[in-house]
Amino acid sequence: MVLSDTGTSRVNGYLFVLERSLATFLPRESVRDVVREIDSHLRDRISAAQAVPDERAMLERILSELGPPQRVAQAYSVERTVDEAVVTGRLFAIVKAVWHVAMSGMSGFFAGLSLFVGYFAGGVLIVLAVMKPIFPDNVGIWVGDRLISDGPDLGWHAGVNVAAASHGHNVGGYWVIPIFLTAGFGLLFLTTRCARRFLVWWRRRRPGFTVTVRPAS
Amino acid sequence: MPLETWQEQLRRGSLDLAILLTVSTGPRYGLAIIQHLEAFTDLIVTEGTIYPILGRLTRDGLLDSYWVEDEAPHPRKYYRLTRQGEKRLAHMKSEWQAFAGKIERLMEAASTAERNGRGSQ
Repeated sequence: MVLSDTGTSRVNGYLFVLERSLATFLPRESVRDVVREIDSHLRDRISAAQAVPDERAMLERILSELGPPQRVAQAYSVERTVDEAVVTGRLFAIVKAVWHVAMSGMSGFFAGLSLFVGYFAGGVLIVLAVMKPIFPDNVGIWVGDRLISDGPDLGWHAGVNVAAASHGHNVGGYWVIPIFLTAGFGLLFLTTRCARRFLVWWRRRRPGFTVTVRPAS
Repeated sequence: MPLETWQEQLRRGSLDLAILLTVSTGPRYGLAIIQHLEAFTDLIVTEGTIYPILGRLTRDGLLDSYWVEDEAPHPRKYYRLTRQGEKRLAHMKSEWQAFAGKIERLMEAASTAERNGRGSQ
């Protein structure tokens, strides 16, 4: 059947939202290809439909079988970003995938938060190791006093102390460099491993993806 | 685990095989793949999510895609198996048959034990 102007606008609106959603994570060339394919799918479905008085209902049924455009886009993002992260294990791909997952639900959000904390702490330790030779008196591990005056007193602290001489006893000397480096890289490695395992688990759940069985007729 | 979750995971796990089998008989476009799955397996995939899976299988080198411009009033994107896809499909089929055979034997053994148990009572 041939769509009215209203029906055509509805389809164009669907494709527009899909295009905008895909453009947030896909290259332009891929977006064009995906939208063209979905457009082709819709045209096939519409041309195969019987001419009915209620065009709107028919069109809504076709679009609902396809799924909301954001959900279709999400399925693409899952397939692309999460699969790439799980398969390649590349740091950038993992961060990108977790970021994407973090935007889509509570479990993803907390995973993203943990990932941020892990990488931040690891990064800080590596930076401290680099800073130690430059500021030997201000970077290190202190015992017996607070590093920062308003923080909790745990008995020892590691980090940068701007007023080093007045607080605690700096221990370890230059040995803190390998300690910080090991702890920093170890933390980065562990965080990456945990993030990858989380993505494997999340991929198995694959939100937005359903395979159902046709009810017995 | 609820039965529905287990069923869902089973279907998801077998969907790649079902798609590769569908295109193994010849090139098909997305909607034709969906209709074939519906007709032969009673698996109904949310239509919009079959395309990302086709995209992944293409990126993995198992499928090849190309546009046909003049077959219908609008262009259609066709998918066909690559050489790598054929090899993967053969491997998946043998794995599936072996696995299904093992489960079948387990079920037969359980049924036999159940019958014998009833007979001795």
